Amino acid sequence: MKTVVIGLGNPILSDDSVGIKVAREIERFKIQNSKLKINIIEAYAGGLRLMDELIGYDRAIIIDAMVTGNVKPGSFKVLPLSSLVTTRNISCTHDTNILTAIEFGKMLGLKLPDDITIIGIEAKDVETFAEELTDDVHKAVTIVASKIVDEIIYKKGLCSEKCLDN
Amino acid sequence: MSANKRITIDPITRLEGHGKIEIFLNDEGDVANTYFQVPELRGFEQFCVGRLAEDMPVITNRICGVCPEAHHMASVKALDMLFAVEPPSAAKKIRELLYMAFYVTDHTTHFYALGGPDFIVGPDAPPSERNILGVIKKVGLDIGKQVIDCRARNHYVIKMLGGRGIHPAAGQPGGWSKPVTEEERKEIEQIAKDNIDFALFSLKAFDDIVLKNSNYLDLVTSDIYLHKTYYMGTVDEKNRVNFYDGMIRVVDPEGKEFVKYHPSEYYQHIAEHVESWTYLKYPYLKKVGWKGFVDGIDSGVYAASPLSRLNVSDSMATPLAQEHFEKMYETFGSKKINGRYQPIHHRLATHWARLIELLYAAEHMLELATDPEITSPEVRKIPEGIKGIGIGSVEAPRGTLTHHYESDERGVLTKVNMIVGTTNNYAPMTMSIKRAAEKLIQKGKIVEEGILNRIEMAFRLYDPCLSCATHSLPGKMPMIVNIRNQDGEVIRTFKRD
Repeated sequence: MKTVVIGLGNPILSDDSVGIKVAREIERFKIQNSKLKINIIEAYAGGLRLMDELIGYDRAIIIDAMVTGNVKPGSFKVLPLSSLVTTRNISCTHDTNILTAIEFGKMLGLKLPDDITIIGIEAKDVETFAEELTDDVHKAVTIVASKIVDEIIYKKGLCSEKCLDN
Repeated sequence: MSANKRITIDPITRLEGHGKIEIFLNDEGDVANTYFQVPELRGFEQFCVGRLAEDMPVITNRICGVCPEAHHMASVKALDMLFAVEPPSAAKKIRELLYMAFYVTDHTTHFYALGGPDFIVGPDAPPSERNILGVIKKVGLDIGKQVIDCRARNHYVIKMLGGRGIHPAAGQPGGWSKPVTEEERKEIEQIAKDNIDFALFSLKAFDDIVLKNSNYLDLVTSDIYLHKTYYMGTVDEKNRVNFYDGMIRVVDPEGKEFVKYHPSEYYQHIAEHVESWTYLKYPYLKKVGWKGFVDGIDSGVYAASPLSRLNVSDSMATPLAQEHFEKMYETFGSKKINGRYQPIHHRLATHWARLIELLYAAEHMLELATDPEITSPEVRKIPEGIKGIGIGSVEAPRGTLTHHYESDERGVLTKVNMIVGTTNNYAPMTMSIKRAAEKLIQKGKIVEEGILNRIEMAFRLYDPCLSCATHSLPGKMPMIVNIRNQDGEVIRTFKRD
């Protein structure tokens, strides 16, 4: 099964970069562990650009920052793909949402993964330019990265609702 | 204000930035004011100060996940000036070649995924259909393939020339880090030809679907989003549209040249107005002055958009784009005065202007790809001094983009200022939103049907990029409208989806 792990975010926008930091952490695991046969990608935008990155894979794990305001920063959760639906043309109006982009890609016969998992990590600050994460969010990086690695190598399963607190 | 009714359209948090629209009603239930609020990304200047100036082309292109190429170009141009170095001619052409590929993909995406659905699927179609899928259902699967192919081949050119996909890394003060080989040139030539075909096809689709449909044509030419403001854009020595380089030209609402200046003089011409209710600053023409969110020759409000660029220009620099340019101005009944068309003030024409620009970018890409100099190995002049101040600008798809850096004698940054494309259009967007709201809300009666879409259309045409490049997963509904009574209590809520 051809698997891609995508860290999504802006590397210089504080906690928005948490997905990218997790991807880099998994890259470090990969160097040490030859069993980890995956591609790791850092991506910076949703919609069609994200869909472009998914082409050719059977399985994708996407890690992104999440701002729900309902849970502690650094909490993480496996989310349905439908949670990514909400870029509804209103503000940064350059693209379409990822669900629409995937449906569009499938309509055109592009090979897109049937199995897409989204891991959202609750962010505290996504509006300040900084390369560092806030403390609580930083703690989530290794935990999420190792859970993904364990799932891919040992099929341990990704976290469910119980994973909310890191 | 507290006695006024308040309607809030709040998209909360979304994948690519978020904004909030507030509509205030007066005692009669008519629209008194509309506020378009955007949470500002903070501290970019502090983030950059103390870094090496030459890192800026790769740092600033991270500001935005959508137009990194524009930031990269404005940044390297600012560095040319900061390091007092003139890039070799071939380097400028390579930069411009990459930039044309970027324009083709950006304008294509906007038309088919965003602006197009309003027309091709219809302004009153349900939101779930007003997207690229709706477009494809209407115009056919083959078009969808063409859109994907167009994006893919131009991203390929950006990666080939820029050294990296999405976030180019090849720009250097004094030039470009690698020349173009003959094999690459040939590939790009073919891609440019395909782009021209695609642009012509897109204009034909616009013609068939929008212009030949009297309902849509009426919408485009109606006064629903009509604002007589000043316009800004970059022009070449013959006053033709140029995306990469030239002078900034501003025309007044009558179409007369108000001022033409070098981008490095921007602070003599542009000032920023601050409102207490938003982080946004509203740029305006200093010499006219800020008179509020109003039209007219006495108001310093200006727009910088595809339509604005065409409005400030005497003509297009390529033949096919010129034909379509003339057709657009003739369709709107614009008269020629002193050899140039009077501006079009109908903001929905921006979508048409964007397609004309798409064609220009494709044609110019072919000119550059067949320029004998494009494969010259002379692509870099090594800087030898430091001027300490560097200002560079390009036309980003969303408006004039200016980077301004200052450094000490080592090239360590001491000051950074930017006016991004969208910023230029904050005031016109606010005005267009108000215009839409006024049509939809009168004497306390609110037209619920399509209200979100009509208001979205008002600013979507400017293709705004607000807090670019945040991808934070949302936890709430994408858009909520709250209607509040005089005490601020929510008396009714309706939301999208």
